[in-house]
Formats: sequence, C-alpha cells, structure tokens
Amino acid sequence: MLVRAFRKEEKVSKLIMFHARECPHCKTMMPHVDRLEKEEKVKFERLEVWHDEKNADMMRSYRPVIAPKCGGQLRTPTFFCPETSDVLCGEVPYDKLKDWALKQG
Amino acid sequence: MKKYWRCYVCGDLHFGVKAPEVCPTCLVKNAYVEISSDEAERTTRPTRRTMSRTEFRTAIESFAEKNEFQVNPDTAKVEMLFDGMFANEQNHGLKYCPCRLRTKDFAEDLKLVCPCNFIIHESYKGKEDGECWCGLFVRRKK
Repeated sequence: MLVRAFRKEEKVSKLIMFHARECPHCKTMMPHVDRLEKEEKVKFERLEVWHDEKNADMMRSYRPVIAPKCGGQLRTPTFFCPETSDVLCGEVPYDKLKDWALKQG
Repeated sequence: MKKYWRCYVCGDLHFGVKAPEVCPTCLVKNAYVEISSDEAERTTRPTRRTMSRTEFRTAIESFAEKNEFQVNPDTAKVEMLFDGMFANEQNHGLKYCPCRLRTKDFAEDLKLVCPCNFIIHESYKGKEDGECWCGLFVRRKK
C-alpha cells in the first residue's frame, strides 16, 4: 500500500509547468500551483523559458505535441505531462488546473 | 499626392495616395499611419537604435487609439509585460511577446513581435472581453 502510494506520487511528479518570468498569466497561476502542490501532493517541475535556454529548448522539443493544443504556438503558462502528452495552457481557474493535474496520475 | 504610410503592427511601408485598409503583410485592418519621407527613409535604413519605454508606450497607445482595442488599463500588468519585451529585445533581438516562446524559425517568430496580429487569435476574435494573448491589448468597452 505504501509502495503503491509512493509510486503514485512519483508518477504524478512528472508534471511540468513551462512559465516565463514576465508573463502575467504565469504570475496569476503560481499561487494555484503552490496550493495544488500543498493540498493534493502533486508536484510540478517549474521551467522558466525566456531566461533559460535549456528550458526553452526542452519546451521547443515538445512543440509538435504542445502547439496544436495552444493555438498553434508555444504559449505560457503551459502545463504538460510528458507521460500522457496531455496539455493545458493559459490562465485557468484553480479547479480546472486541479482536475487536469489529478487526471494525469 | 502620394505619401508614405507605415503599418504600426509589422512596419510594412506603403507609398501611395491613401493607406491600404488591410495590411497585405500582417492582415491587420486600419493599422497604417502617415509618416514623413524622412521617417520612411529612416525606417528602411538598418539600425540598432531601439525605442525607449516611453516611445514604445506612445506608439502602441497611438496605434490602439485608431482601433477597437486599447492598451490594458492595468498598469502593473503593462509594466510587467514591458519588462519582458525589453528583456527579450536585449537578449534575443526583438520585442517578442513575453507570454509565448520563440521557435528559432525567424520568419515564424516575427509573428510574436509586439504588437502581434492578435485580432485573428482565438483569445480576441469574436469575444466581447477579448484580449491579446499576453493581455497588453484589450477590446475597448462600448
């Protein structure tokens, strides 16, 4: 049981939030992400993409998956699960983010 | 009399009696403003001079004035976006939208230079409270 719980947590921890330092939508979403991590024990890897080329290249590598679901572009914030290739982009209400994150586990 | 006209959105230049209603390059409506022949000459000359924040603000406010949208009245948000655009200009060469990532395909990335052609984007088109993706421009309230 404990092992299963640990595995579940490990699986959910692969969620990524691509964000940008000067993106107001990302700023709005950060407290939602903090709350979600606190309340639901999910974990996001937060990757800033305008000031970190490594992170930017990583986001670009997922372009074929992300762009079709985000108006054909790479937009921030983008929430991404590499395992399921599921994408959520833009500023969304807390519950929508929560539903999306829990669906990935 | 023929005059010079410049598209505020993409910088396209036109020399003619009147400005095109729709910019043939970026497809934005009513984005042309009359410019002097000096400015036309300056515009076509390669330069590294960049706009100051004040100049940029004046330019986008003047651009919005003639259209159905306005610069977002949320000044804190606008300042944050300016921080991003000017950082992007310094680090990556152009005022790329801080809320989208460039692809490294230059022709494609020109679409991300502010002000972009947001009136065709789903975040604006047909929406009463439409705004460009980053929120710098919002539809003017009737």
